[in-house]
Amino acid sequence: MRTPHNGAVVQRRSKTRSYRQSYRSCLGTASRLGLTPALTARRLNASRRAAKPQNDKVNPEHLALLVKAEWQLSYVTPLYQFRHTQLRSYSRQLAAFIVAEKQQGLAVEVSELHNSYRVSLSVVQGLTESEDDAETVLIQIHSKPMFARQDEPQRSVWSGWLTCVHGSPEYLRSLPKDFTCLPLFGSRGPEYLSRVVKSWFQKTFDCCFGSLEINHTSLQWFAALWTDCHSQSHIQHLRMLWTIPAAPPLQITYTVDHQDAWDLWNSVRKGPTAAVAEDAASIDLEEVTGFLQALKSHFYRHFRLDLSAGTLQQVSTAVGSAKSSGRIKMSNSRHVIATLTLLTECALLKMPI
Amino acid sequence: MAETLCLSDSDRSSSSDQSVPSRSNNRSLRIAEKERKKNEAEDSFVLALRYFSEVEAGTPVAGNDELDRNLAVVEKVAFSKGLSPEAISVLLEFAMSLRMGTSPCVRVLKCLIPASVVAQQAVVRAVVWLNVSKIPISTQVLFIKWVLTVFDLIDAKDQLRAIYGFIFSFITEENLCPYICHLLYLLTRKENVHLYRVRKLLELQSKLGRQPFLMHLLSLYKVFCPELVTLSIPSRIRSGFKNYISPWKSALAAVQKSNGQQVSSSISAAFTIKEKSISRKRKHCHLDLPALSSVLNKEPQSEQTSRRKMVPLVHLSSFAQMLKDMHRIELPAQMGSLLGSSLALQYLDCVQEESALLRLNFWLGCALHEEFLFCRQTSEEALQFLNNLLSAQHFLQEGFSSSDAFLYKFLNVWDGSLLRPQILGLLSNIPVIPSTQIGRLLFEPLTQLFFTSSMFFKCGLMECLNNMLLKWLTWHSVYALEDDLDISLNSHTSINITLSGFKDSVMELVHFVGRLASLGLQLEGCNTLLLSFILDFYETVCDTFLKFGLPLVVMPPPGVFYPALLATDPVSVDRLAYIMHRYKLNLTSAKSQEKQTEPQQAFHISRHTFRQFNHYLVFMVNCLWNCRMFHANTDMHVREELLHKSNVPQYWTRFDFIHHPAFTGYAVDFHQKCWPGKKDVDVNSIKQSKPWSWYLEYLFNQGFDGLKDFVHSSISRQVTAGDELQDSQQR
Repeated sequence: MRTPHNGAVVQRRSKTRSYRQSYRSCLGTASRLGLTPALTARRLNASRRAAKPQNDKVNPEHLALLVKAEWQLSYVTPLYQFRHTQLRSYSRQLAAFIVAEKQQGLAVEVSELHNSYRVSLSVVQGLTESEDDAETVLIQIHSKPMFARQDEPQRSVWSGWLTCVHGSPEYLRSLPKDFTCLPLFGSRGPEYLSRVVKSWFQKTFDCCFGSLEINHTSLQWFAALWTDCHSQSHIQHLRMLWTIPAAPPLQITYTVDHQDAWDLWNSVRKGPTAAVAEDAASIDLEEVTGFLQALKSHFYRHFRLDLSAGTLQQVSTAVGSAKSSGRIKMSNSRHVIATLTLLTECALLKMPI
Repeated sequence: MAETLCLSDSDRSSSSDQSVPSRSNNRSLRIAEKERKKNEAEDSFVLALRYFSEVEAGTPVAGNDELDRNLAVVEKVAFSKGLSPEAISVLLEFAMSLRMGTSPCVRVLKCLIPASVVAQQAVVRAVVWLNVSKIPISTQVLFIKWVLTVFDLIDAKDQLRAIYGFIFSFITEENLCPYICHLLYLLTRKENVHLYRVRKLLELQSKLGRQPFLMHLLSLYKVFCPELVTLSIPSRIRSGFKNYISPWKSALAAVQKSNGQQVSSSISAAFTIKEKSISRKRKHCHLDLPALSSVLNKEPQSEQTSRRKMVPLVHLSSFAQMLKDMHRIELPAQMGSLLGSSLALQYLDCVQEESALLRLNFWLGCALHEEFLFCRQTSEEALQFLNNLLSAQHFLQEGFSSSDAFLYKFLNVWDGSLLRPQILGLLSNIPVIPSTQIGRLLFEPLTQLFFTSSMFFKCGLMECLNNMLLKWLTWHSVYALEDDLDISLNSHTSINITLSGFKDSVMELVHFVGRLASLGLQLEGCNTLLLSFILDFYETVCDTFLKFGLPLVVMPPPGVFYPALLATDPVSVDRLAYIMHRYKLNLTSAKSQEKQTEPQQAFHISRHTFRQFNHYLVFMVNCLWNCRMFHANTDMHVREELLHKSNVPQYWTRFDFIHHPAFTGYAVDFHQKCWPGKKDVDVNSIKQSKPWSWYLEYLFNQGFDGLKDFVHSSISRQVTAGDELQDSQQR
């Protein structure tokens, strides 16, 4: 897999140099730019490995929590002084923080609140690809409703994770060791809890969150990657949602039968097909655009409507679904890694420096 | 008081007699007048209050002018300044006792705007009146709404709590119930919760249905005494009591604002306020500077360093204190907070920590990207944020790398008008960009913006590029001296930027501005304002060697030189002359230094630059001084026949010091001063040797110092100008 020069964006300044843009360091910055066609022209990888089923190393219980749910995605700047060994203490702090935030709006002191939230932060072992990746962290918040009976058990009300799968090694290595890079954040649950969790992370690890949309190109990649999975797990169908900027706006749901999609995909694949050389197969951007182009021209032949004028909003198969608003659902545990790899790449592209 | 009143009266009478009162007299008069009016108003207000406290019950309302007048006075005071606690007590008593019936009661209630606080006693008395007099229900509702509005302003709540049961009894009144529930919600304490009250509420609930106000009160009861309320309450009832329309709210806010108070009054419980602030936050959540707070999460390793006790930055309050604890300052939890405090910036200025700076840059970059990259309109917060950032950069005298990275992206999507001063300010802080990158990162987007924007943007951009160049040159002059011109970088970085690399970048920038300027002047018809900004830029460029020690001289392109020379305003010509003078000094000193240094050192100014300079100089001298404008070997090739055809007499003299459009006015003025008697003005008579030198003297005295320097340095009056030029032409 080739990686473009996007890693060079964070160029470490040597410690001996002052942070000031002295003549030296300003040229240091300049040299950073010298390496960076990446800076304004950073792009997704043009080629990636085909998804191959794995996950035998990931705890199935944890994996079950990740799949079958829709996650709202964000990107996160690197966490400062985050320690995987301190998760237990972080859990306590986060729980206390949530209670404190909850109480801010109340007119009276409510003692019950204190024990109403149970937070657990845990490591999802094995959800990494390269040695530079930091271990994935899973956050779960359990609570019971405010006026529940005493004996009612606590339910999971919110969950989220921070992950880095196959992050650009150049970028990860360029960070000082005080930083832990977990650029992809997924959350599920009430919005106010997401807000509280984010603000706790911001306050504690001096990081920032921003929304992560899945753009047109990434959605095309998902369409191709998931179709490519068909040989291992049945995709049922390939469904795409397009919007056409017409007046009134036109929304088109385009569903392709699994066999047709698979045949078309195999026809645009160059060289040995995935079925033949399963292991070393890599997918090129050319093949992806070719696949989508074929789908579009098929549509045009039937409806005289060119989908190129519109934008792809949503892609869904039985393996997963992705929406341009930044929502992702991974339905099949076997292809989680491939999906997260692409998303990690998207998140790293959003890093401000 | 009475004295001033008398005085002002006498003043007034005297002023009407005197036709021309002195200024001081007039002023004291006005002050006295104001004083008198104020006193009058106060008096009438006091009288009105006395009327309301003493008026007999049963006085007729209809046709009662006195009542009308007094009500008007009270309303005026209430809505302008608010009412004192005593006034509120008097008026509330008057209204609730229904001494004059219900219609004045409503009117009085509506103007009860407290200036400071409300006496609890008055509220308690009024609540008691609720039961005694026959107040219509709508008026009762109005009163309870008023109590809710001013609840936070009531000076104590203990007596109100004491009549909790009394207030509770109103809950059976259907129209009052929601408001009473709200009031009870605000008053309830644990000891107020009793089984019979819970029963009453449940009974009401079965009658009225699951009303939110009842649910709220019950939920509060349940919080206090869960054993009494067995009812299950949905975990998510819509938070907050309905925000009833309250006639006092805006008036109260206005009065408090003008009184400079920050007492927050609120009919809405804390819920709704919080909701609001969150929704506002959600829009621009990245723009709030984080609070300066110490680290929440102490590192385990800090135990070993705890021998050296750390001082959080937030505990420091003065520069002296900071100096004292310099070695043990602890950085805040969120580096973004440093931007908001000048003390912290001072610390940042000398801190050497790489990760601290990286944290700040992550935060800043994220905020800029999230809030501005796709921002389409200006908001107060955005403006505030960028101004903060600019003042921080100004303080540190440099930009942040994340804001540079942001700008390279933003320039491609910018419309050139959104937050223009701020964006241009940030842009001028960009550090040196290698010449291989500068075109793509800077010039391409800026060219597009320049040619599609208004004149003012063009001027703004010129100023910004001038500032950028100044900063680059200043960095060079400071650090080149330090490093003794050996500025190749150490092996840490992959690209060595040498002096020549730096020179290339500067040259690229200057050439770029030259291109923009030439075309910009054409597009805007040689606009004087734009020309002035362009000449600003060249004032920086012409001095690169002498002022900043950079062995580089770049001449302005013809598209800038000729419009400036032939400009119709004398200031532009004067500035051009100054610039040419400085160019000459720079070139001559560069040349003499070049002779001294070793030949192999890359210290060389190209022949082309000298040639171009001489070319401009010859033209300028020929034009202004020698009256040989269309001399051969100049850029201006106009055919002889064409010049004859134009019928301009003596066309070759048209741009000398006398006939140049910028100076004709001066020549005529000089002529009149020199020969005051002469009727017909023949400015050519100035050409004679003596008047000519007087004329020059006259021009220099008008403040044309540039011309003065230019004439003194480039034209030797004894020797002919040509010889002088020979001198500067030798290489």
